[in-house]
Amino acid sequence: MDKISIPIGPQHPLLKEPLSMKIDISGEKVLGGSLRLGYVHRGIERLAQQRTYVQDLYLIERICGICSHIHTTTFCRAVEALLGIEIPPRAQYIRGLMCELERIHSHLLWLGIIAKHIGLDTIFMHTWHDREMSLDIMEEISGGRVLHAVNQIGGVRIDLDQEHYEMIRRILKKLHSQVEGLLDVFETEPAAMARTKGVAPLSTELIKSYGVVGPIARASGVNFDIRRDDPYPPYDQIDFKVITHSGGDAWARTFVRVEETRESVNLCESILDNMPDGEVSVRVPRRVPEGEVIVRSEAPRGELFYYLRSDGSDKPARLKVRTPTLSALSLLPIQLSAINVADIPVVLAGVDLCVACADR
Amino acid sequence: MDRIKKRLTILNAVIEAITNPPETVDYPFGELKLPDVFRGAIVINPEKCSGCGLCVRDCPADALVLNKESREEYTLLHYPARCAYCGQCEDSCRRGAISLSNNLVSAINKKGDLVVVLKDCQT
Amino acid sequence: MIRSLFYLFVFPGFIFQIICGLTFEWIDRKLLARFQRRVGPPWYQPLADLIKLFSKEDLLPERANDAVAALLPLISLSAVLTAGLYIPVAGFSPYSFEGDLIVVIFLMSVPTLAYYLAGIVSVGIYSILGGGRSLLQFFSYEVPLLITLSGPAILGGSWSVAEIMHAQVELGPFIIYQPLGFILAVVGLIGKLKRDPLDIPKATSEVVGGSLTEFSGVKLGIWHLVMNVQAVVGIFLLVDLYFGWTKLANPLTSVSIFIIESLIIAFTLSVTSAIFARLRIDQLAGLGWKVLVPLALLQLGFVILMGV
Repeated sequence: MDKISIPIGPQHPLLKEPLSMKIDISGEKVLGGSLRLGYVHRGIERLAQQRTYVQDLYLIERICGICSHIHTTTFCRAVEALLGIEIPPRAQYIRGLMCELERIHSHLLWLGIIAKHIGLDTIFMHTWHDREMSLDIMEEISGGRVLHAVNQIGGVRIDLDQEHYEMIRRILKKLHSQVEGLLDVFETEPAAMARTKGVAPLSTELIKSYGVVGPIARASGVNFDIRRDDPYPPYDQIDFKVITHSGGDAWARTFVRVEETRESVNLCESILDNMPDGEVSVRVPRRVPEGEVIVRSEAPRGELFYYLRSDGSDKPARLKVRTPTLSALSLLPIQLSAINVADIPVVLAGVDLCVACADR
Repeated sequence: MDRIKKRLTILNAVIEAITNPPETVDYPFGELKLPDVFRGAIVINPEKCSGCGLCVRDCPADALVLNKESREEYTLLHYPARCAYCGQCEDSCRRGAISLSNNLVSAINKKGDLVVVLKDCQT
Repeated sequence: MIRSLFYLFVFPGFIFQIICGLTFEWIDRKLLARFQRRVGPPWYQPLADLIKLFSKEDLLPERANDAVAALLPLISLSAVLTAGLYIPVAGFSPYSFEGDLIVVIFLMSVPTLAYYLAGIVSVGIYSILGGGRSLLQFFSYEVPLLITLSGPAILGGSWSVAEIMHAQVELGPFIIYQPLGFILAVVGLIGKLKRDPLDIPKATSEVVGGSLTEFSGVKLGIWHLVMNVQAVVGIFLLVDLYFGWTKLANPLTSVSIFIIESLIIAFTLSVTSAIFARLRIDQLAGLGWKVLVPLALLQLGFVILMGV
């Protein structure tokens, strides 16, 4: 059969956010594809230079909806490093709690999406229902389900009391049992296993040469996690496991993410157990002294990298954000060769697209 | 045996789903519960407001505008359509005059409602 | 004359089958929604969707053949409605004759071929892909279905659906003798109706709408009717072939038994839709020829031995 080229996007049921791909297929085999980004580019880095640090916090929060808290946390860490202050330990623990809750919500969202793409609509609905539990916790704590606005430069804006602890523990216990069931379903559903095992394997050398980070890298055996290898509080004071798998195919990525969700639920409980007392924020001056700083965090999708340079005024001189989805997207054309048309959704979902992050 | 039990998880989930009431709320006929810290419409306590303009300076969306003639005569305007409902104005105000309530912000019918006058003491 | 017009258009013909089709769509959507912890649509939703579709603009790409694209859904609808005339509904079948099982199976496969042609004729990348897949799927499930459906015919000693139904009065429901055949027939029905897990031609994630991507308006509304009536006719066929039906003294009880038997099969279809994932086309071909056909032949062999 001769080659035809199907367009995926900018509008397609597969994509949550606009992205443009042209995929060449012949019969049911995919020959290759090309990618084009930029549909969600809003010029965040340039806008950040025109606003003060306090105003930038809310701009940075809106880079991405799924991983909004980790963006503000990294930004606050960068500004606090330039200011040379240490925030109180209770604020660090509250930040860590919200980060882990966000990781749970992001991975459950991803699990629903891949279930929907392989036809398991019921699991999609059930997974998103479990995700609602973590969103409920975040709403009770901070007032927002997706955009929490918990951070401020110098600490956090909210505090937790005994009622909050009880509510969080109660919901976490329910979430624990639900997540246990999810891996069981995926492991034993024959069609799900057949659709994801052996699909688009990525070798460790390919991962390392393209600089891919996050669960995709950990699913190919690269044992790297910023929370353990370049730790920031509270992760340097709590024990947790880093999940890796050596398969490298779509099933390995599913496994890594579901296990990470389980580990995050345990981490949330550890953070609650070890939460220190004290105040939650310190006062900071408005002008940030000159300097430049690099800060890294572990977003749900991988390593988040911030570069901030200040020139002494109350507006940043240069802010550079490198999000993990960008490096994962660079592997997409390679993954698309030598698979079937029916595997395109699985491959695309395995990348865990967050195009708003990638485009900024 | 263990594998069969795991296989039945989804059947259990399906049976449990059909024997319990649905989880979605039939809004507006059903009730919607909002937490206390929900960031809703902006309210102001006019006695406490002194027209200092700290909230205006820190607003990331330029939703607050202060028309100041003198220390005693000023008007504080709020644009609900521009507002991001972040709550920075509540944190910046040193007197606790402006805050975010628990109410939802509804759509408007008249163009004049695009601007809300929070405090007006211009003569 | 008036009588045959009544049979053709009201019961068990046109209007009755369309009402049953809309009811089946409502039951299916409501059950799926409750399985997923949602509320689900109200009872008038399928009718409202149909009226909405009929009032929309009818567009096709420039190079598509409008006349053929308009004929195809009408031919499919008439085929399934005619097939329904030969299947006894609560024992009532005015037009049955010897050999009408073969005619019913043939008429029920007309919509699949029309679906394929609709994809080709509405020139669009996703339509062509979806159409090709539907033909591939057709080859994988039709052969086991034909072999399986010969089982009740051999046991009942006739090729007429009404006769097979009556034969179960003395022998008992055929599902007891051929449970494997019933499961295979349900699988074949799922493939014919293009439901999850065999909705490969319509897989939204891969080919946006399958053959019907470019359709809209009245044509799409008639296609939806075709899908629903095909489902209802298939369910009634399975009820008659495997559960049987006897005329009891109380007519209300007899009709209720028929309704309950149909609801059992509809429930089975919805549950299967909810708990299985979608197969890939090469996995379906492997499943069809390596698993389903041998099982169907095994069941047929068993039936022949029992008949002897």
